[in-house]
Formats: sequence, C-alpha cells, structure tokens
Amino acid sequence: MNKPLIRSTSYRGINTTVAFVGVVLFFSVFTPNHLFLDSRNLSSIARLAPDLGVVTLGIGMLLIAREFDLSISSIIPICAFIFALLLEAGMYPLAAFFVTLPVGAAMGFLNGVIVVKTGLPSFIITLSTMMFWRGVLFGASRMMPRAIRRYFPANSLLNNAMTMSVGPIPIQILWLLFFTVILGLLLHKHKFGNWIYAVGSNQDAARAMGVNVALVKIVLYTLVGTLCAFAAIMQATRLGSFSATQGARYELQAIAAVVVGGASLRGGVGSIGGILLGLLIVKSLENGLILMRVPVFGVEAFIGIAVILFVILNEYLNRRTE
Amino acid sequence: MSEELLRIEKVGKRFGKITALQEVNLTFNKAEVVGLVGDNGAGKSTLIKIISGYHTADSGSLYWEGKKVRFRLPKHARNMGIETVYQEQALAPDLTIARNVFMGREPSNALGIMQEKLMEEESMKVLRGLGLRIKSPDQLVKKLSGGQRQGVAIARALYFDAKMVILDEPTIALSVKEVREVLEFVNQLKQKGIAVIFITHNLHHIFSVADRLVVLANGEVMTDVRTENSSVEDMSDIIVKSTLGALV
Ligand SMILES: Nc1ncnc2c1ncn2[C@@H]1O[C@H](COP(=O)(O)OP(=O)(O)OP(=O)(O)O)[C@@H](O)[C@H]1O
Ligand SMILES: [Mg+2]
Repeated sequence: MNKPLIRSTSYRGINTTVAFVGVVLFFSVFTPNHLFLDSRNLSSIARLAPDLGVVTLGIGMLLIAREFDLSISSIIPICAFIFALLLEAGMYPLAAFFVTLPVGAAMGFLNGVIVVKTGLPSFIITLSTMMFWRGVLFGASRMMPRAIRRYFPANSLLNNAMTMSVGPIPIQILWLLFFTVILGLLLHKHKFGNWIYAVGSNQDAARAMGVNVALVKIVLYTLVGTLCAFAAIMQATRLGSFSATQGARYELQAIAAVVVGGASLRGGVGSIGGILLGLLIVKSLENGLILMRVPVFGVEAFIGIAVILFVILNEYLNRRTE
Repeated sequence: MSEELLRIEKVGKRFGKITALQEVNLTFNKAEVVGLVGDNGAGKSTLIKIISGYHTADSGSLYWEGKKVRFRLPKHARNMGIETVYQEQALAPDLTIARNVFMGREPSNALGIMQEKLMEEESMKVLRGLGLRIKSPDQLVKKLSGGQRQGVAIARALYFDAKMVILDEPTIALSVKEVREVLEFVNQLKQKGIAVIFITHNLHHIFSVADRLVVLANGEVMTDVRTENSSVEDMSDIIVKSTLGALV
C-alpha cells in the first residue's frame, strides 16, 4: 500500500495490527491441539465471518461520517425473506438476487432520508426503523423458517457464486476482500471518501466548503442497505433456508468490530484496513474462545471486555496525537 | 480609482423574533480591505454569511460586479470568487492540510479518484506563498497552531483565485505572534488585488490593515469611514455609544 493509506490508518492501524497478530498467536498456542490454526477451522472462519464482515465495512464508513445504523439486524432478515419469497414464486435465482439488492438499498435509502430530513440522531431513527421492520417481518413470516435449497441446484450460478471454494479458499472471504478493496478505494482514494471524513470530522465545515452533506449520508445509508441485502443472500444460500433470526445482533457486533478496528465514535477517524482487522479480531476471539471450551456467556463477556479495552486504548492514542 | 466589486442594498434578515440585519446598504471595492466591527450580536457574522451564501437574505439584493446575484448555497458564492474563513473554523481537524485545502473541490480524474500528489504540491506552494512554514502537507490539521490553521483556511481562498476573501474574527484566540502572521496574510491578499472583509473585536488589529471601517450595531450600519479619517478612540466610542443607544 502506498503512503496516504498508511497515514490515514496511522497509530491505530499499527495497534490494531498488533492486536490481531496477538490474538492469532494466543489462540494458535492455547487452543487444544492448536485447533485454531487447523485448516478446517480457518476455512470455517473464512466462510462465516464475511456475513457480518460485508455489512461491517458499510457500518464503519457510516461511523467515519459520524452516523449509526441499528436497523441492519432487521434489514438483513427482511432481504433474506424477500429473496426466499421470490424463489418460491419461481423466479430465477440470479434474478431474485438482483431484485433483492435494490430492496435493501431502498431500506437504507429510507433511513438516510429520514436522518437527513429530521436532523435527529441516527441512533434513535434507526432504532425505530429496526423495530418497525422487525414487526413487519414477524407479521409476514410468522417467524417460520423457509427451505430454499431446492431452488438452486448444486451447480447453479448463484449457488457457486455464494458458496463455492476457490481451491482451499471459501468464496465468502473473497467477496469480503473484494468489497474491502472497492470500498477502500472509495474511502481513501476517491473524493467521495474525502467528503465522508470531512462530514464526520466537522459537518459544518464540510457544508461551508460546498460538500453536499445530505447526499453523503444518504449514499452511505443506501450502501449499508445494499450490503445487507448481499450478506442476507450469501447467508441464506449457504444455509439453504431463510431464518427470521438471520442478522440478529449484527447491529451491535458491527459497531464493536469497527471500534476495535480503531474508528472513533466521534467520527472522522478510521480506515478500511482497520475495519477489516477489527472484524477479524472479533471473529477470531469468538472462534478461539469457543475452541477453548469457554461457555457461550463467557465468550460474550470476553468480547465485551475486549471492546472496552480497545476503546480506552484508542481514546488514549487519540488524545496523545491531538 | 476604486472599482466596485460587491454592493448590497437594503439587505434584511430575521431569525424568528430577532432582527439580525435591517436594511443594510454597503459597497465593497476591488483590492480593498474593509474592517467590519461592532459589538457581540451586532449582525456581523449574519451579514457575511449572506454574502457567502450560507444564509439567504429575507429582503434586499446583492450585486456582484454590477450584476444582480442570488446565492442560495455557499457553492454559488464560491463560484463567483467569494471565499469565506468562518469564525467557527471551517476546517476538518482529522484531515490532512492538503485534504482540507481542497475539501469539496478535490482535483480528480474522470473516475473521481483524487490527484493527491497535485493536492499536496499545490497546497505546499500556496502555504509557502503566504509565508507559512509547514513541514508537510500530510500533517493533520488538529496538530497545527491557531495561526497555522487560519493560514490553511486562507490558502484555500488563494488557491481558488478568490476575488474577495471574508475573514470572520481570524485573530481570535491567537498569540501576538500568530496575530502578526494573520495580518501579514491580509496584506498579501491585498497586494494580490483581492478584496478582504475582516471582522474583529480588536480595533488595533484592524487599524493596521484596513482601508475602510464599517461599524454595525443592532443590524444597522452606524459608520462607514476611511481608516485615515478615523482613530481607534473614535471608533470605540461609536461602538460603545451605538450599543448603549439601543439599550436606552
Ligand atoms: N442561526 C441563527 N439562529 C437564530 N439567531 C441567530 C442565528 N445566527 C445569529 N442569530 C442572532 O442574530 C443576531 C446577530 O448575530 P451575529 O452572529 O450576526 O452577530 P455578530 O455581530 O457576528 O456577533 P459576534 O461578535 O458575537 O460574533 C444575534 O442576536 C444572534 O443571536
Ligand atoms: Mg460573529
């Protein structure tokens, strides 16, 4: 990577990388039979982590612009539900994919418009839309899972694109890397990325300098919605079914990953590399602790502690560089 | 002879029940430094925010180089060549100097990818032109001193060929040395033929650079004189009395 990318990750980029290496080393040594490094375990992480990961990239960019989106945990299952309905209605899987993406985009767009037009904190707005869509989903799906495997044969295009392996590498992690590169270019190299940072760092300054603040926010919410739709389809295809609990608690896990990755809740700070590493740290912690037979509530507690430690560390480093 | 750049006629602005400006008439000429003074809440910031398109006037008109204009967005005023350095500094502290100088107008290729090298070189060039010593255009703005920050904001104006630069209290909260720097920036702008509107509460600062002084009080123009026909004592007298007058 060239100079500006390193600069924009600065100190935090380094400490996030150190933390990631530390977590990997720790679990490599301390999991029974070094199971963490076992190729089957790594490939399982690479297949499962991108569900949350793809969405986390968008949440991270949104946080850099100083906005939240809690509604992702409802947008994801709704998109999966609509995808399932379309397949049941006899739509070709790839067509269903391309119809579901704009549905997610529209739900994100709606969040963005409400946030921009009301000027109210996005935390409250997206909490409301999360609850609203969840209600709609429960009513429509009655919480019943729907099997959809039969709609895409093992070798169909969509099934391959979402679940195959390229050599030993699950395609899900390649999708995550693909989005990381594209969104990284947008965030760090494109002028739109500069507007995202400007809006998060000083919204009034951005507006005074002619940045269309409303546009930046609406585009970011729409992006998050689109990524939710993608993640929903990727997950539903892998599971071979729609489940109403898809995406559950992603809203908070994504923020945890982004914060661990060095983004500031005050906006203006963060990088795509940091977001990706933050996600991998959180997912590795989860995986490693389970392998070490820590009970489920213990895993949660440990991740909670890790997030707090990272926030404290990031705040400390931030103050020191000010 | 002075040539008219901007004329404002009968400009009024209200915020709810507060009348911030009432029927203000003023003319600004090319390459002229005008000091805009007046007590807190006199309407100085409101006036320049109307000129820079941040607010729109409720009544009255603006004429730019003789032609009637209407700025509904900051962009419109900037396109005409009006650059504003706001009281609440219009900089993003988490971005680098170069990215701040070009914020909102990043030079980029057809795909929108920024030309970072150009941004860094050009911002260094203007900053040096202002006599500002900066180590690197990569530095984050939050690490700069107050005077340096004003320099970055003014550099922005210079790079984009402004015809008029508006400075809203650029010397507030600066050290003596930093104030000297900013006043030097103002002289540089004037020498380049750029008109300057300089808002301040410190009459000593403004007397050393302004060609003309305008006193606002309660949204009205109280005085509009050439600096050489006035003194710091006269002006502070006018400011105090016009404010008291409103209270009686
Ligand atoms: N956005 C706004 N909404 C409501 N009232 C406002 C707004 N901006 C300014 N005002 C009011 O308009 C009047 C003029 O304010 P303005 O900021 O123009 O004063 P000023 O001369 O710049 O003062 P100062 O020297 O303190 O910066 C004040 O009474 C202020 O409270
Ligand atoms: Mg003011």
